[in-house]
Amino acid sequence: MNGAMNFTYGFSHGVEWGWPIAVYLLLAGISGGALIVALLVRFYKKQQVDTPLLKAASLVSFATIALGMVFLVGDLEKPLYFWKILIHYNFASVMSIGVMAISIYIPLTLVMCLYLFEKEISIVLAKKSKRVGYFEMVMRILTRFRPLVEVLSVIFAVIICAYTGFLISVLVRFPILNTAILPALFVVSGLSAGTASAGMVASWLFKEEIHSSDLKTLHTIEWPIMAVEIMLIGMLFVSLLVGNEFQQITTVAFKSGLYATLFWVGVMGVGFGLPLVLNFALGKQIAHSQMAFYLCGMASVLGVLCLRMFIIYAGQTFGI
Amino acid sequence: MENDGKRRAFLKVLGLGSVTLGTAGYSVVSEAGKAEKKPHYGMIFDQNKCVGCTDCEVACRKVNDVPQGQVRLYVENKTDPATPMDKKYVRVSCQQCEDAPCVAVCPSKACHRDAKTGIVTMNPDDCIACKYCIVACPYDVRFINKKTKAAENCNFCLGTNLSKGKEPACVESCKYKALVFGDLNDENAYINQILHVKDSVRIKPTYGTKPSLRYIPVVKVGV
Repeated sequence: MNGAMNFTYGFSHGVEWGWPIAVYLLLAGISGGALIVALLVRFYKKQQVDTPLLKAASLVSFATIALGMVFLVGDLEKPLYFWKILIHYNFASVMSIGVMAISIYIPLTLVMCLYLFEKEISIVLAKKSKRVGYFEMVMRILTRFRPLVEVLSVIFAVIICAYTGFLISVLVRFPILNTAILPALFVVSGLSAGTASAGMVASWLFKEEIHSSDLKTLHTIEWPIMAVEIMLIGMLFVSLLVGNEFQQITTVAFKSGLYATLFWVGVMGVGFGLPLVLNFALGKQIAHSQMAFYLCGMASVLGVLCLRMFIIYAGQTFGI
Repeated sequence: MENDGKRRAFLKVLGLGSVTLGTAGYSVVSEAGKAEKKPHYGMIFDQNKCVGCTDCEVACRKVNDVPQGQVRLYVENKTDPATPMDKKYVRVSCQQCEDAPCVAVCPSKACHRDAKTGIVTMNPDDCIACKYCIVACPYDVRFINKKTKAAENCNFCLGTNLSKGKEPACVESCKYKALVFGDLNDENAYINQILHVKDSVRIKPTYGTKPSLRYIPVVKVGV
């Protein structure tokens, strides 16, 4: 009788949550990660001035989460009805909780941008003297709350990174997704992509010297973050390998087929291998070059994108 | 005198308190009594009786206006290739879980439990088609209706046959009486009489979602 009473037919069509969700997960990770890293550097070094790194991180975090919303809402079959989420809150749903967190987080990133680009915005508004007046008044009020906003930004950035993990780890049908490690992996990989993005933008847009103190700090913490990321992925794999029948089947995703290629070439090769080779295998001259800096950053971000794609696609392919 | 006033006030409070608490307690008890009477609809699929004619599928699509190429109910052929003469079929449809993950994850409360019947159903107007319920369902028995663009599941014909006092379309259409529908909370219901005398199983009970569909498996013949 065992195994006889079961059905294998399903009404969904393979991967229901596709690449837009993977891209959204990446963007949310970058947004949260960049802000966490830049603000922690600020707290740790007790910085009082507005550094190019914090400028870059604020801009990156606001831009990526805003772009992420486009992907998130765009993936709905009825995108014009997304506001229904906002009026029918379901506190049992991770998605509702996430939307709530996002609706606090986006204003926080926007206020962070206002703090850091106050001068630039004033210059733009200078043509209309009335508007500058209003803007200055708003900024005078906002500036009083700056320490609070910064702390809240860090907290909500962590929540944003973690919720994207919980969002899909509650899906009991999929062994790769339904693990305790996923939210942690998403926080750490978000930090990795966020560090790289903030560093690149700081250097590119705000002319931060790539050997400056702040970027050196980022460069130093990059490796421990990467090590933890590899460790978490290893733990995920082992937990599946030693798991039940269904969990064991999913390890095929790491071993053969398109998803294995995506994992080994994209996540391991580009995400981890390329930065390591550029920094440690080809001599100091290349490691310290401008090209290596940008190449490493882009490789990190691409690697995290591949990780999210792998998790989303392989995760939903191997159901119970 | 002063003391007397205090005593009187104390007795007043005591009296009032016992009256309020008493009525409150009574109302709690009567509410619990009402809750017990709430129906819990379930269904039995008898594998011994199903011949795989798919009349139920056809009836379901017609009654519930399910678009071409989509189904709320599917009859899967699970015949063992080694014994092709021993036909086996399984009903694939919403399991009407008591702890339904689809209801838990729906961000817009479109997927909900009907207040009167307790049946898990949809409000298509509130559905934003985020597909969260589809990926959260352990049984993979939900889909986006092509016409309404809303997620959908078998709701025992809640809005169609049931509201007209009829049995679900699949039960009505089954010539072999392989399907039995009824209120599991009603001790005298036919569905409970069957469950008392026959062994039945639930699909994937380890998910802990407490499905309301019961399956009576084909009994092994011979040794």
